[in-house]
Amino acid sequence: MIPITIENLVKKFGDVAALRGVSLRIEKGELFFLLGPSGCGKTTLLRNIAGFYIPDSGRILFGDDDVTRVPPHRRNTGMMFQSYALWPHMTVAKNVAFGLEERRVPSAEIKSRVHEALASVQMESYADRKIAQLSGGQQQRVALARALVIRPRCLLLDEPLSNLDAKLRLEMRTEIRRVCKESGLTAIYVTHDQKEALSISDRMAILESGTIAQVGTPEQVYRRPRTRVVADFIGETNFLEGKILSSDGATGAVETPFGRFEGHFGDPDWKPAAGSPAVLSIRPESWALREEPAARNSIPGEIRDSIYLGEVAQYQFAAASTPLKIFELNPHLAGRENGHKCHAVADPGDVVILQP
Amino acid sequence: MSRPFAKLVFLLTAAFFALFFLWPIAETIRGAFIGSDGRFTLDYIGEVFRNPIYLEGLWNSLQMGVWSTLLTALIAIPLAWISDRFLFPGKTLLGALVLVPMILPPFVGAIGIKQILGQEGALNALLASIGLLDPSAPIDWLGEGRLWGVIALNALHLYPILYLNVLAALANVDPAMEEAAENLGCTGLRKFRRVTFPLIMPGVFAGGTIVFIWSFTELGVPLMFDFTRVTSVQIFYGIKDIGGNPFPFALVVVLLASTVLMYAAGKFFFGRDSHAMMAKATSQGGPRPTSPATGLLCTALFSLVTFLAVLPHIGVVLVAFSTDWYQSILPSGWTLSHFEAALGHNLTLPSIQNSLKYAALATLVDLVLGIAIAYVVVRSNLPGRQVLDAMSMMPLAVPGLVLAFGYLAMTQEGKFFHFLNPTTDPLAILVIAYSVRRLPYVVRSAAAGFQQTSVALEEAAQNLGCPPLKALRKITIPLIAANLLAGGLLAFSFAMLEVSDSLILAQKQQDFPITKAIYELYQLLGEGRFVASALGVWAMAFLGVTIIGASIILGKKLGAIFRV
Repeated sequence: MIPITIENLVKKFGDVAALRGVSLRIEKGELFFLLGPSGCGKTTLLRNIAGFYIPDSGRILFGDDDVTRVPPHRRNTGMMFQSYALWPHMTVAKNVAFGLEERRVPSAEIKSRVHEALASVQMESYADRKIAQLSGGQQQRVALARALVIRPRCLLLDEPLSNLDAKLRLEMRTEIRRVCKESGLTAIYVTHDQKEALSISDRMAILESGTIAQVGTPEQVYRRPRTRVVADFIGETNFLEGKILSSDGATGAVETPFGRFEGHFGDPDWKPAAGSPAVLSIRPESWALREEPAARNSIPGEIRDSIYLGEVAQYQFAAASTPLKIFELNPHLAGRENGHKCHAVADPGDVVILQP
Repeated sequence: MSRPFAKLVFLLTAAFFALFFLWPIAETIRGAFIGSDGRFTLDYIGEVFRNPIYLEGLWNSLQMGVWSTLLTALIAIPLAWISDRFLFPGKTLLGALVLVPMILPPFVGAIGIKQILGQEGALNALLASIGLLDPSAPIDWLGEGRLWGVIALNALHLYPILYLNVLAALANVDPAMEEAAENLGCTGLRKFRRVTFPLIMPGVFAGGTIVFIWSFTELGVPLMFDFTRVTSVQIFYGIKDIGGNPFPFALVVVLLASTVLMYAAGKFFFGRDSHAMMAKATSQGGPRPTSPATGLLCTALFSLVTFLAVLPHIGVVLVAFSTDWYQSILPSGWTLSHFEAALGHNLTLPSIQNSLKYAALATLVDLVLGIAIAYVVVRSNLPGRQVLDAMSMMPLAVPGLVLAFGYLAMTQEGKFFHFLNPTTDPLAILVIAYSVRRLPYVVRSAAAGFQQTSVALEEAAQNLGCPPLKALRKITIPLIAANLLAGGLLAFSFAMLEVSDSLILAQKQQDFPITKAIYELYQLLGEGRFVASALGVWAMAFLGVTIIGASIILGKKLGAIFRV
């Protein structure tokens, strides 16, 4: 159990900079997510940590141990590959035993540890199967057992669930969290699936073209995105353009075409002058539909369309020419017919003021 | 993969090619341009173009190369097109059988074809027996000078190489390209000429180049036909006094220059731009069932080609089993005594042992070098890796005859490599010659294996504590074993069959490989051709088993190995 420190990491491929000065600290025992759109550098960062890439500059520390230039086979990390990379010419047990054999563990101990590792992912009865005889979910469990059995210093997961169907994905993500927390391992998990990140991470970093856009807990990132890109990438949101009226440290007021909006600044370091352009991010579920306008944070408009999903209804709400997406929990559709004119109101606590 | 290892492989391969590929060629060129007084001279080359015998030889070589290649294309392209488009009865079997001629040594087939098409041969006997021919005025089917016999035998031996190339190229053509042509009103042969053929041109060129170089410099077949007015044979006879005669050097240089020129011209006119396919095929192409009549026609065509190509070898088998065969359709009597005689002759058993030894060692060298080169080319990011790839493919573009002659020239008295001189012991130089010539096949099949095997499998092993080279050995090598086995088997069987290296470099009877033993046996009067045929049948049976094994293991990927 060790913390992992990444200091100002730069990695270029030819002229293209995949990482441009990334710094992170991942606490020991933390399940940490690297999240971002494809091409943002998250897999490059993970492969630098695993040792498959050597960075052009910067350092990687496992605890106090500088591993920046240590070859992959001496880093003692356990990695789960996107394709699982299970060796088709070996049985399940042989795959799991491989890392222990490389470490010259006595064969009696190998046997018991392999059994234990397979049991921890409920695969002990498949020890003698060939890889080709396993389903995708089973292969995923074996890959996890193979990475864990060596008792690595940290666990690295490269989009481990992307090859599974939706139902298995839900099941496996809680399974991965359970195994990580039971073993107490520091784990770094790369994904582009925000649901995965929100549901099981302790903290996450959002990467954007080779730099870190934001680090935080799922709630911090969801409720207080620092940039427009983060707000857009995590969850759904509505953007409203406007100009700063006033700011008071953490909170501020913005003049929009629909009137005055109050909210919180997403980036606490941003101190805009009055009159500077700004953009508001308001999540669909933050709006409430009212028959009467409110004194602030209120937009008049009409319902254009609605989708009823039982526990929630999704409305297309049009304010002048600006479309808004509004979710209503426990909905009653009476009085929400298409063309119905009403007001959308948001609580200042749910309004995030961002740099445009 | 570690950079130092990639560099080491690069340097070793570069050194190997410098010593055993460039050096012999340079030695030959030197011999052609440096006079006995040690000064530069153009006299020898000039003499080649003045002497009518040499000129006739070159003209015949050119005819041999051009007509063999055209005939090969005439056989191979329609076959490949039919195989790509249609399902027909017996396709799987015929598709395999049609490749068989590639592994039958054509110069052994020459014995058979003379027996069948000669003036006293089976065809004339057949025609006479049904009254179509006057027995006192037999027709010489092979023609004056035997040129057409040589060309036919070359084409029937080499068409599988072009067939496999064209088949692979056709498989790469997105069916939507042809559908688009049809949609715009272009169909049938016109569509083939305007759309399909230009798209497969790089494949045709790649296969055609190998066929041309092979037949242009073919030594064994003209030698067996006593067709001596051809450059390759003139060079072969010239090596007896290689120490004092500069003209073989000049002839080899002219031959080499001609192939390079032909290759460059071909590349310029036909192979300039390979047409990259935009994307994966959008629609399912694949062969379609045909009407029964068309299907039967396809079956008949495949059978006919296979039959014609195997016919010389059927002749060889019949000769091997016959007491005598003269002016009759079939041999007049049957015996097994030639097989005993073949095994009992003091040339044969040692020659089989020698061939096995040379071929096995050469295959081993090829596998070690081939895996290392393919690994660096596919898996490293070494800046010079494309050079390495190109280098390992070069032996395909240089005639075997040229290299063999170069090896002989560079091991002469007083040269740096004299210690490898084949008259003392040809083992080292023959193994080198065989392995250089066949290295491209092994590199290609190993590279194909590396490309198909995800690098993540090796990374996973490294992640679990396995050093890179050990990961290669424990994970990837077992996974690409089939590719390596197939490439190795091909290298092995071609080494067993190698004609020009063997004829030129093996000079003492106890060192002869099988091919040279067959040639020497054939020269014997009386029983000679029967015993030579019997040894040829042994060799064919042996190679048949290995190549069928390789094609089963490698399946459809066989074609990928024969592309330049």
